[in-house]
Amino acid sequence: MSLVAPPANRQIAGVWRSVGRLLRLRVLIWVGELRRASWKRKIGIGFLGLLLLAGLGFSSALSWFLLRILKSPEFTRLIGYQSGVLESIPVLIVTATFVGILMTSFGVLLQVLYLAGDMDFLLSAPIPTRAVFLFKLLQAILPNFSLTLLISLPVLFGLGVTTGYNWLYYPLVLILLSGLALAASGFSSLLVMVVVRVFPARRVAEVMGFLVGVLSFVCSQSGQFAKWADIAPERAGQVVRLTASLDTEWSPLAWGGRSLVYVGEGRWASGAGLFVLSLAFSLGIFLLALGAAERLYLSGWINVQAVRARRKHAGRTASVTSQAAPWAGIVEKSIPQALRGILVKDFLVLRRDLRNLSNLVMPFILGVVYTVVLLRSGGEAPLGRGEAPELFNQAIRNFMLYANVGISLFVSWSLVSRLALMSFSQESLSYWMLKSAPISTFQLLAGKFLVAYLPGLILGWGFVLVMYAVKPGGLGVLAFSLLVVALCNTGVAGINLAFGVTGANFTWDDPRRMAGGTSGCLGALISALYLALALLLFFGPVLYLPILGLPQFVAQLVGLGLGGSISLICMVVPLIVVRKRVPRLGEN
Amino acid sequence: MTSILIETNQLTKRYGEKLAVDQVSFTVHAGEIFGFLGPNGAGKTTTIKMIVGLLLPTTGQVKVTGYDVQKEPLQAKAASGYVPDTPHLYQKLSGRELLRFVGDLYGVGSAQISRRIDELLRLFDLEAAGEDTIDSYSHGMRQKTALAAALMHDPKVLVLDEPTVGLDPKSARLIKDILRQMANRGAAIFLSTHILEIAERMCDRIGIIDRGKLIAVGSMDELRLLGRGETSLEEIFLNLTGGAEYAEIAEVLQ
Repeated sequence: MSLVAPPANRQIAGVWRSVGRLLRLRVLIWVGELRRASWKRKIGIGFLGLLLLAGLGFSSALSWFLLRILKSPEFTRLIGYQSGVLESIPVLIVTATFVGILMTSFGVLLQVLYLAGDMDFLLSAPIPTRAVFLFKLLQAILPNFSLTLLISLPVLFGLGVTTGYNWLYYPLVLILLSGLALAASGFSSLLVMVVVRVFPARRVAEVMGFLVGVLSFVCSQSGQFAKWADIAPERAGQVVRLTASLDTEWSPLAWGGRSLVYVGEGRWASGAGLFVLSLAFSLGIFLLALGAAERLYLSGWINVQAVRARRKHAGRTASVTSQAAPWAGIVEKSIPQALRGILVKDFLVLRRDLRNLSNLVMPFILGVVYTVVLLRSGGEAPLGRGEAPELFNQAIRNFMLYANVGISLFVSWSLVSRLALMSFSQESLSYWMLKSAPISTFQLLAGKFLVAYLPGLILGWGFVLVMYAVKPGGLGVLAFSLLVVALCNTGVAGINLAFGVTGANFTWDDPRRMAGGTSGCLGALISALYLALALLLFFGPVLYLPILGLPQFVAQLVGLGLGGSISLICMVVPLIVVRKRVPRLGEN
Repeated sequence: MTSILIETNQLTKRYGEKLAVDQVSFTVHAGEIFGFLGPNGAGKTTTIKMIVGLLLPTTGQVKVTGYDVQKEPLQAKAASGYVPDTPHLYQKLSGRELLRFVGDLYGVGSAQISRRIDELLRLFDLEAAGEDTIDSYSHGMRQKTALAAALMHDPKVLVLDEPTVGLDPKSARLIKDILRQMANRGAAIFLSTHILEIAERMCDRIGIIDRGKLIAVGSMDELRLLGRGETSLEEIFLNLTGGAEYAEIAEVLQ
């Protein structure tokens, strides 16, 4: 007896039926999770839904506003160019959608194909293999595609309305964008497989998290460097011309965008031809990529290199005491062995986990941005119209002397808070090693305190010294600034470490979640309030006592006494309050 | 008479309404390997966690080398080594760095740490992987690293939760040999296992826990006297914990 394969059309129907079943199961799981979720989470999801609707409204309004500007004669006069600007918008949006889906689906596909851990289960189930891959690709693109539509649809539909395009334009927009999204995800799946063949999937995810985090943060802060007043009409014209240059003869993405314009304008023959060509091209790429990805996955091609590449060399960074550095002896004598062990271990773990680095590098970037902004302004007090009382002007001049402390503290506060809040949670499931070891609560808290405090101190002092080198002041100002940074951070570390103890969660694996939650928010909020109070006590006397005729150095001593006291109190008291919780951590 | 190194007295742990461990009392002497058996969810891991100071008992007392784990935790912990059932280790440390960290925590001298790390890595055949981060280790390698970490400070008491799970026969044999050598040198070994053959061959005395209660303690001969003529530990265990009827079900399924 021989097995006869079912006809092709029945096979295809079977594939789509299975995809539908898998998608339905996914939705059921999501609904079930939502039903079982806490009220807090339900409210959060509801809020997110409202936020998306608001985003859609905002995106529509912005599109309408921008299209009005682009169509206005004033704009044409300003840039001296308008021909083809509006017609190039669909090409721009289509290209942006394709590139956006290509980039965003990479991360999601990496997750669903390699890190979710359900591929073996699905492939061993009586479901067509093709259906599993189709389902995974759809799962990867659906959320990103929906978000992309939130931005692209208002623009494209708005363009249709303002230009009076034919009704057929609207459904074709949706069909074309869907086809392109599928092609982009197909490309992305192949890219994922090539990358995973060289590097382990988890490592790729870590590196991506780091790069995306840093890039998005740099982009968000780069606006600080822009001099908006200097934007000339020629530059605006250049941007518009650059947009129009995407509309090239041989780009399949341009064919798609142009086909929409032609159909909208009623140029049926050329519109339909380009549309069919573009859609066929997209679907062809998708099917080819799908087949190739499936074959590569099932042949085990990806796993061959991954197994060899999995070994990661840690390098010789065993311990501060094991190295023959001249300071090793001093460190050995000044820091108890158990504390030293915790410090070395935590710094190695923090440095090696890229997900940590993307979190911890933010304060540094922020510091560099604001230092550049401050130095570019010359560090001088704004003169205004010169009507302010002399007392106020003097205080402002005194304040500007210590502007470097403000930036240093902001940067180090951000770093110390994060490190202190995650100090216990970062132990994760390995906490048993610390808990079963013969170390006291005091030693454990002291070790964790130093892990949070020392990097912030080094970073804060680094900024003070760099800014002092660029714009030197008196030595007294430098010494005072260094002491303020050192003392202020003790309080920040103490408060946040206490919240790190109360909010410790050893089931979290991703360090980016560890400084969040209720404890994280409260810690950041209360330490920010403490910082404001401490700065008032440190700088109040320094700004005003010299005006009353007291020498600067006496004012600094008074400031250090007052601010230092509150800093030390805020370091010690929260830790005393939570010390009894420490031995019970990890029991649940 | 050898000295008592582990002593539990009416040890009880309650999670809300659920009684996980119910008034468990036993002793483990120096030079003895004590096997702790029980069905899934019987309270083995909870008991072990209370012995090594990871969980606070609701009532009762645990003493390790004469120190009360609740009142003198540092002394008790300094004397014991622990290998959990799932060896969650710091993924981003290398095996060598992890052992150094453990040596620092347990106050082993600097010169001794380096020597001991080399010895243990060689013993467990981890020398080649010593500089690799633990996230690249297989389950067996992690299990061996966890055992090496527990042996770093040469403990008087070694507590192991399912130590041979996931190990290849060679590694499992190595661990059994190490445990026997440690016991011969006067250490107390407390191990939980589901592999009754290991318990029967290795352990000097065996405790059986079921639904939180310690239902039998003694040597193999003493356990045989408790039963109804059974000779193997498997039969004794199944009769005591009520699992014998499953054999009939299995026969019906065949």
